[in-house]
Amino acid sequence: MEDLVDVVEEEGNNCTTHPFLCSNEGVARIQKDVDDGKVNAMVIGACSRRVNFDIFKFDGCIVERVNLREGVAWPHSREKYPALTEEQKDDEEHFDRIQMKAEDYIKMGMIRVEKVKLPEPYKTEKSSRKILVLGGGITGISAALDAAKAGFEVTIVEKETSLGGYAARMRSQMPVAEPFEQLISPIIDEKIAELKEYPNITVKTGTEVARIAGQPGEFTVTFKKPGEKIPFDVPFPLPPEMILDEKGNELDAEAQHAKYLEYNKGKLDILKLDPDGELYGAVILAAGWRPDRLKGDAYAHLGIDLPDVITNDEFEKIAAKGKIVRPSDGKEAKEVVFIQSPGKDEDDADFPYCGGVTSQVALKQAKYVRNDYPDGKAYIVYQHMRTPGLQENFYKSIQQDNGIFMTKGAVTEVSKAGNSLMVEAHNTLLGKDLNIKADLVVLAAGMVPVTVDDPVVNLAYRQGPGFRDNDIFGGYADSNYICFPYETQRTGVYAAGAVRRSMTIEESMEDAAGAALKAIQCIESANRGVAVHPRSGDMTFPEFFFQRCTQCKRCTVECPFGALDDDEKGTPKANPTRCRRCGTCMGACPERIISFADYTIDSIGSQIKAIGVPSEDDFDEPPFRILALVCENDAYPALDMVGMNRIDYSPDVRVIPVRCLGSVNSIWIKDALAQGMDGVILIGCKHGDDYQCHFVKGSELAEVRVNKMGDALKSLALEEERVRFEEIAIDEYDKLPGLLSDFVEEIEALGPNPFKGF
Amino acid sequence: MSEKYLVQPDLKFIDEITGFGAETLKKCFQCATCSVACPISPENSPFPRKEMIAASWGLKDKLVGNGDIWLCHECGDCSDLCPRGARPGDVLSAVRYATINEYARPKFLADAVKDPQKLPFLIGIPAIWFAIMAYITMAGHDTMTKLFHNFGVEWSHAKEGVIAHADFVSTWLVDITFVPLAAFVVIVFALGLKNFITDIHANAVAEGKTDKTSIDPKGFILALKDVIPVILKHDKFNKCEANQERSTPHMMVLYSFIGLFIVTNIFFVVLYVFQIPGPYSQLNPVKWLANICGAALIIGSGLMIKNRFSNKDQVSSYKDWYILWLVFALGLTGMLTEMTRLAGAQYLTYFMYYLHLIAIFNLFAFLPFSKMAHLVYRVVAMTYASYGNRK
Repeated sequence: MEDLVDVVEEEGNNCTTHPFLCSNEGVARIQKDVDDGKVNAMVIGACSRRVNFDIFKFDGCIVERVNLREGVAWPHSREKYPALTEEQKDDEEHFDRIQMKAEDYIKMGMIRVEKVKLPEPYKTEKSSRKILVLGGGITGISAALDAAKAGFEVTIVEKETSLGGYAARMRSQMPVAEPFEQLISPIIDEKIAELKEYPNITVKTGTEVARIAGQPGEFTVTFKKPGEKIPFDVPFPLPPEMILDEKGNELDAEAQHAKYLEYNKGKLDILKLDPDGELYGAVILAAGWRPDRLKGDAYAHLGIDLPDVITNDEFEKIAAKGKIVRPSDGKEAKEVVFIQSPGKDEDDADFPYCGGVTSQVALKQAKYVRNDYPDGKAYIVYQHMRTPGLQENFYKSIQQDNGIFMTKGAVTEVSKAGNSLMVEAHNTLLGKDLNIKADLVVLAAGMVPVTVDDPVVNLAYRQGPGFRDNDIFGGYADSNYICFPYETQRTGVYAAGAVRRSMTIEESMEDAAGAALKAIQCIESANRGVAVHPRSGDMTFPEFFFQRCTQCKRCTVECPFGALDDDEKGTPKANPTRCRRCGTCMGACPERIISFADYTIDSIGSQIKAIGVPSEDDFDEPPFRILALVCENDAYPALDMVGMNRIDYSPDVRVIPVRCLGSVNSIWIKDALAQGMDGVILIGCKHGDDYQCHFVKGSELAEVRVNKMGDALKSLALEEERVRFEEIAIDEYDKLPGLLSDFVEEIEALGPNPFKGF
Repeated sequence: MSEKYLVQPDLKFIDEITGFGAETLKKCFQCATCSVACPISPENSPFPRKEMIAASWGLKDKLVGNGDIWLCHECGDCSDLCPRGARPGDVLSAVRYATINEYARPKFLADAVKDPQKLPFLIGIPAIWFAIMAYITMAGHDTMTKLFHNFGVEWSHAKEGVIAHADFVSTWLVDITFVPLAAFVVIVFALGLKNFITDIHANAVAEGKTDKTSIDPKGFILALKDVIPVILKHDKFNKCEANQERSTPHMMVLYSFIGLFIVTNIFFVVLYVFQIPGPYSQLNPVKWLANICGAALIIGSGLMIKNRFSNKDQVSSYKDWYILWLVFALGLTGMLTEMTRLAGAQYLTYFMYYLHLIAIFNLFAFLPFSKMAHLVYRVVAMTYASYGNRK
């Protein structure tokens, strides 16, 4: 402890110690110094910054938390790393590895405080508290009602000439309230009627959005009639094939721009704001779904071309008109087979864009058959019967119907047999291959989110009018389905209902409330200049040192949220309220001109430089030094858990938390190696199928960047193995010590960095 | 098993077994907990899960001719453990009754026995019949005596000075009722069993439950020899856990029926061959057996009724109550007839005897149609399972 105090005092800083700093007394002592004007920046060397953040919060002060507890004292014990004896202290042979780590951390904390500024919030020029709801179906109406009840002004935009969407075209619907047992008549009419009670709701039917320009808090929206062509129609980026010349080489920037202008002829540039546009603070995307069209060889065995093989959507239309009859000859359809999965016995996947809804719809429609005909028989052949939550009661009640028969099974063929159809199923619960005679066969086609066909939101963003990476989320409008529901990849646009996941009416109404709350949170954050999510309350935003910008557009392209636009020359234009403060732009910038008030290339770079790298001048066999740049979202908490569980790992590793691995600029890695550190490891969230990155693309980009560094390292005569990229989930803390130790061992096998000591 | 099976659900069959106590059958969601619990479920055939889905789909063809359902002794372990309360045990019991109903001819009698509204007729017909018989006996004593003397046979089997039921309803008339009735029962069973055995064999072959391709009568009889000790010892029944307490009363009832059957036959021979009419001395060992069996019948059936009342987990429907109360009434009226006779209450004992005759009639005449028919079907199915090396 005394030695740590010396480290601080050697730098000429004041240092106070306290045995119980987070106690009332400890905090009061700091507060007194703050109040007396003695202190406006401090380094607290105690527990991890992930705990007690509300206690060590001093307004107007830069606070740096140095993780001596979870980072040093807890994982590394004195039993394993004994303190040096007096004789050992200066013998150039022995060194105290944990003391060295603690001292480095203190130094790193001190330098950071010097390098960062207190953030000041960004304020938009104009500020709107209105919410725009795209879609006038059950979700849009529910969201509008919820937002209106909270006192916000809402506009519903519906493409069709009347409200209601699919919910208004059904015969009956699944239950939405206790006891969740019986079919009910559609509730959409009540909801539409309820809209009239709220004067703060405006409904625009027969209208769609031509463009949404600007940023959250001050979106400028231009409306138009569907199909109309107007100058404020949003320009589309060039499709990939158009940016290539005849030989397949990429066109240069100017040629691309010329093509872009030609491609979007008659449309005004994205940066041009519509003077007659309406101002909105946030957008709720409730544009819903369309029934899937089942086509192609994959479904040929299901007899999709037979007139009496129809989809659940077509069945619903027949049911809404009257009794269930066959499309082919109008005869009563008393024996109906509902097929839930394409089957063929190859896999048990359902139809695309299916979910619990299609299971429940089959139950509902089976009941139609029984309601229409007392001697009717409805069969449901499924691979999965999903009735989440209290809809289980609905399942149970439908199951009680004597004329509804369900079995798991793979449908291998649907064929014509005389005047009716024959369904063949394999691997059923009846233990045999079954033949079922049917008048009508209904296929459980999925609910395709409309954003698959059309951007809908028509954002005037440089990255394009829609969501760029929906393919990560199975085509749905989402950005992290585990942690951040409703968040799309565009801040200020919140998705609800079937555009986000196939949902029942009950689920959609609940989802609408969530998206409405997110929209309100966005408005109440944008007007204060703070981030909405995931770094809620963060006041920083990217700042550019434009003199050195080379217009390479890397920041504009790589931003996962389309926060940056650019002008004709390619100079980036930041839209701070679109930003989620991940720092991906900072990591991308080759000129290193992007920074945040408290998070800069220099602040982290200086921390790296503050790490002591002992060489042979200091000790006969100097310890290795490894830098770990660790994502603060999952990997850093996991590392804290390693500490809490007192699990040891190499104390030669120095950890620096980063906002996202996407924000890691390769200069940090180069600097670390240039100053003699032996290896650098980046630990971030998982990407790919088991996707967990909080900023959609951060860890993926980091991996690409690390792979690209190999050549640069070789030119320095360094092995590319010295830099490694790893992914970890928050619950995999137990894997971390092994992962770090393996890396350290590998580096030790490579030998020390030849640059050490220079 | 690549041959395709065309499903043809029978909605009426579902209604029917629901009425027989299987009202829970549609709750089954096919988890197969029952098959794990079931002590008679074979290795590779999930019994009774498959029977449950067949029942909920109304696949009569897979159930009525299914020998397996008779191997179930309704131990209740499956119903106990079923997470959905689908009560497979009760469903199988209902299916068994539907099977009895299906094979029994004539159909109208089968329909009458299963219908609680027809109960007055089931009781009324023998009541009227025996009333007529009693009238003939009591009013036509002299006429009948003369008539019988023409053939050199004694009409009355009563003894002077003692109360004899033959003075109320002549033994001749009793036996003229029951001997043809017994023949009728045997014929009904024989016809039913012929179809039953054919069907369970076809089912076992189709589902791969047997290695036999045809039924060899000799092998079948041999199998019966193995099965009878199992039944007498209640070996299978004793495997039951949840309904363990049912085994002893069932054994008491079974043994008392066997005992009473023996007694009846001995006295029949004594009366008609040795011409010694009753009532017989209480010191007679055959009488001892009769009394013991009578008591056991009352106690056994009484316990079964009590169990059904106290067992809230088991569904009891009309088919169960009809037979249980009938057996209990049979035993009770039998014992009371004897006791009132010994007590010298002449008209009271006549009345008890009248009731006793009605009860016997019900048991006897409706044997192939009531739940009691299980004694035949189960024995045959168990024999078949043993013969066909069930797997």
